[in-house]
Amino acid sequence: MDKRLAKNYALLGKQTTDGDGLTACLRSFFKNSTMQIILFAIIMSVVGALSQEKILPYSWLSAFASTFSYAIAAVGFCLLMGYSGLASLGTGGFIGIGTYSVHYIMSEAGLPFGIALITAIAVAVLIGVIVGFISLRIEGIYLVILTLGLSEILRNLYMVLEDRITISTNPNLFGIEITRQMSLYVVVVVLAVIMIITGNIINSPTGRAMLAMKNSTAAAQAMGISLMKYRLMAFIICTVYASISGTMLIIVVRGAMASQGTGFYALITSLNILAAVIIGGYKSIWGAVFGSFIMYGMQTVVLNNIKFLAENPVIITFVSGILVIIVVMFYPGGLAQLVLELRGKARKLRIKMKEARYGKDLG
Amino acid sequence: MAYFLNTLFGSIVPMCITALVTMAITLIFKTSYTTNFAQGVISAFGAYVVASSLNKLGLSIWISLPIGMFAAMLIAVAVDVLIFRNGRYVNALGKQIITMGLISLVVGVIPLIFGLSDPAFKSFVNGNITFTLSDGSVASVTKNSLVCLALAVVVIAAIFILLRFSKWGLSVRATASNEYVAGMMGINTHVVTAVSWGLAGALGALAATINASSGNIISGYFMTNYQVYAFLAGILGGFSTFYGPVIAALMIPLANNLVQYIVNVLGVPELTGWSMVIVYAVALVIIFFKPQGIFGKKIARKV
Amino acid sequence: MARILDNLNPVSERILKLRQSYDWTQAELEALPLHYAEKKKKALNSFLLKANKKLSNSAFKACDKEEYADSIMTEKLQKYDVKQYLQHRKANHLAAVEIFLAIKKGEDWSADLLEVRKANDDLLKEREAYVKKLEAEREAFLRKNSISDSSEYKALSAELEKKYNELSSALDEKHAAEISAKELKLNKKLDSISKNLQLLEAKQTEKHTLPDDILLSVKGLKMYFGGLKAVDDLTFDVKKGEIFGLIGPNGAGKTTVFNCITRFYDATGGEMYFENKYGEVVDLREYKVHDIILQGIGRTFQNIELVKEISVLDNLLVASTRAYRSGFIAHALGLPLLKREEKMLREKAMKILEFMGLESYAGWLAFGLPYGILKKVEIARALMADARLIIMDEPAAGLNDSETAELTETIRRIRDEFGVTILLVEHDMGLVMNVCDTVCAISFGQMLAIGTTEEIQKNKAVQEAYLGMEDDE
Repeated sequence: MDKRLAKNYALLGKQTTDGDGLTACLRSFFKNSTMQIILFAIIMSVVGALSQEKILPYSWLSAFASTFSYAIAAVGFCLLMGYSGLASLGTGGFIGIGTYSVHYIMSEAGLPFGIALITAIAVAVLIGVIVGFISLRIEGIYLVILTLGLSEILRNLYMVLEDRITISTNPNLFGIEITRQMSLYVVVVVLAVIMIITGNIINSPTGRAMLAMKNSTAAAQAMGISLMKYRLMAFIICTVYASISGTMLIIVVRGAMASQGTGFYALITSLNILAAVIIGGYKSIWGAVFGSFIMYGMQTVVLNNIKFLAENPVIITFVSGILVIIVVMFYPGGLAQLVLELRGKARKLRIKMKEARYGKDLG
Repeated sequence: MAYFLNTLFGSIVPMCITALVTMAITLIFKTSYTTNFAQGVISAFGAYVVASSLNKLGLSIWISLPIGMFAAMLIAVAVDVLIFRNGRYVNALGKQIITMGLISLVVGVIPLIFGLSDPAFKSFVNGNITFTLSDGSVASVTKNSLVCLALAVVVIAAIFILLRFSKWGLSVRATASNEYVAGMMGINTHVVTAVSWGLAGALGALAATINASSGNIISGYFMTNYQVYAFLAGILGGFSTFYGPVIAALMIPLANNLVQYIVNVLGVPELTGWSMVIVYAVALVIIFFKPQGIFGKKIARKV
Repeated sequence: MARILDNLNPVSERILKLRQSYDWTQAELEALPLHYAEKKKKALNSFLLKANKKLSNSAFKACDKEEYADSIMTEKLQKYDVKQYLQHRKANHLAAVEIFLAIKKGEDWSADLLEVRKANDDLLKEREAYVKKLEAEREAFLRKNSISDSSEYKALSAELEKKYNELSSALDEKHAAEISAKELKLNKKLDSISKNLQLLEAKQTEKHTLPDDILLSVKGLKMYFGGLKAVDDLTFDVKKGEIFGLIGPNGAGKTTVFNCITRFYDATGGEMYFENKYGEVVDLREYKVHDIILQGIGRTFQNIELVKEISVLDNLLVASTRAYRSGFIAHALGLPLLKREEKMLREKAMKILEFMGLESYAGWLAFGLPYGILKKVEIARALMADARLIIMDEPAAGLNDSETAELTETIRRIRDEFGVTILLVEHDMGLVMNVCDTVCAISFGQMLAIGTTEEIQKNKAVQEAYLGMEDDE
């Protein structure tokens, strides 16, 4: 018998029984982006439950619900701008597709909420196709203004159809009535699903094709990427997300007015979503969600606790404006870039600490 | 007939406002290569200054108007000098987003300076001029709108003359065609751009004052609709010329009112609300088939 | 009605789809044994890991205790040495700095030196102490476990070995059955696809022909921009497997010719026939710009057009966007079909990168890589699309002499290994004369001469129009 072999086996056994298997397993679990998103959804649901029980402030419930509703639109915009290199100012108008679908299909016709959602998606696909075709002929700043015009058409249409809508019946999802308090959970689940899907698209051949298109249309075409297909796809995704965001918003807020200058469908919504994506970092879906929090949720959740700001809410508008300008001028990658840079700095610090302990490699 | 005349008279003020705002936006587009989304709020700021000089200082509107125009001009120049000049390497979309950030900035500043209440405003002149037509019907036009028309015509004409015949106009046109080459030719593009911004701010303040003087309540966003008209007019007329956008700007409010008129004459008044939808849709279709605008020239691009 | 349907879904497109799925099935068929070998390896590895754990106790009992203790001691000593070395090095470095400063100031530094020596001696003493401690540990360990009993270990290892062999043969059997079943299925699929293909190909009415040795034939190509005749009545043939150079002074219309072939421009007149990668002669004018790559024409760009935000490997995958069978839904939901395809294409991309000598850059972002590397990545990207003809737009622009020489080598190698034909536009006459088999010289959109490099060099018209001009410069 080979004694050396036996010795090696014995040593091997010692190593494997040392056991850092669990931490490695956990680490790989949390590094999985889908798991991160699910974890985020669970945490937000817990926060919602706590604030429903008034352990956390009750106002957080609706603040988070509307923030995450807007975040759905922001994630779509992130795909449109960060990956396809297109821009649109139609988000406000597209949100209206969702709200009016819910109004007409669910509230007026009395059909289930699911059908309203499907209608919203179908109409959004149609509008997305129209915008996509326009984007093939018109590019850049002109496209932005054109989508703005389209959004205004939609807003005027809403004003003519029914200026003020209110949803009095609770939507019914799989037999459960969604009250206003419960809407946060629905929104969080929808946002999580949307984030997972978008994350998949970004890392798939479709995402790469979109990036190639953004980089250079000529090279993308030479690589077999059809501009029409991917531009249409980008705009369809963006409009559908905005429309879904509208259905969620109307569940959360339960009422909207089209002629209001600062309402859901006005230019200011499109601008705010754009600002959210820019602040968060236009290539990161987490950035888009965080940016929407800054634009829509931060006032209730953070700033109202500071007495001075609670008394002067206009300062927040002012500061967010300055923030957008600063980010565009000095941090084109947004907060996501900041996080990456901080991570890099932390790594450097760790190396420096090692050097301080053992001395620099003089090589 | 009287109804038709009234429709025309009613279009005077919107046409003036849109033309002025469009002129401002075109000036900035030509020199800074960006669509200024903050034009509406900067104009509104000017109107606020006019209103507070009317109410708090008790000055007449003819003195308040230049004060307001000057204030808006200062803000616009500050924007150019402080932000745009330092952001030379920001791309086109980035510049647009900066102007969007400006909206929040100015809207946040307004209540800090002027308070939260809606300020009261005065007309330039009061009273109407009425005509009795041959068929006995009565048409009327407010004196204020005629004053506004005169103001707008004088100002826009002055700017066109400046652009055509002054040295500054030549510099603007040179900068618009190619900023880099204009700089090499000894034109101080910084000054040209700053003056354009200042002029745009002043024009916006005038437009906002006209808007307020005809009875609309001032707020941070009260020029937004006209700004959207102006953007649309810009691409409808084609940003490559100065006169194209202005002509398109005159057409949009007029078309809106005319559609309402036609709809009422045809006996379907319930369609009145659709007028803007129809005008926008027609404009978008025209733009779709003529992306360079009605008066624009096609520029060949090298692949 | 049938005609409308045909227009919506033309025969050529259906054929293309069938061919693509034929290729995929073929690739899957080829990958089957490898796939199962990997599966087997994985299963056996996990078995071995478990067996190790089972074996370790009895192995400890069986092993020679002295050797075991020795190896543990060596391990510990190695770790200690590394740590001590690092400390020692730092101390020496600091001392050296101090001595240097002292010398500079003209102070006495012998005390410092002594201190360093003393510190080093201390370290050595520390080490000796540690070694003694380890030896004591070893003694104690040996006293405790002196008996070695190998019977249990022998029995267990024999059992495990038997089990291992059994598992291996069982897996072999199982996999062989599965492979043959799958092969049958795939072969059937291939048959049905090829039958459908034949049917459709019979439907195709228009058929073009080219001589056997010609890959691309351009006849009377015209491209007018308004009144400007960028290319006027240009005719040339590119033979299979040759390196064809297109030269001409600035503004001669070389890039325009490229853009016409790759359909960026719609040629004003003329004919372009190409034998695609399925061995069929097609009229290029019938295809849209983004469909050209499917026929087997890849191109590289004058100023590199890679996606900077993604890795080199991903950039290669961009070129195979059209190769995926999985659609948008699969991409959005991350279905297994997509993952399978990704894996296969990634392997293919890795192979190409290895061929180009770029495998170490696979995971790097394209942003910030050296220019020469990016040029190579572009060529690799063209290869990724299974191109039969690679069109290179000034490949040597911006490269230094040694990089150009390397590029020459690369161009030859890809021609020989992949059997591709290369059409290149170049200003660098050294490269053209070095690498090209046939050269076509044009000026103001018109042909001056075509022939081998020697012929072109001797041609009077070319010398006047091009080479003469270069002499002036």
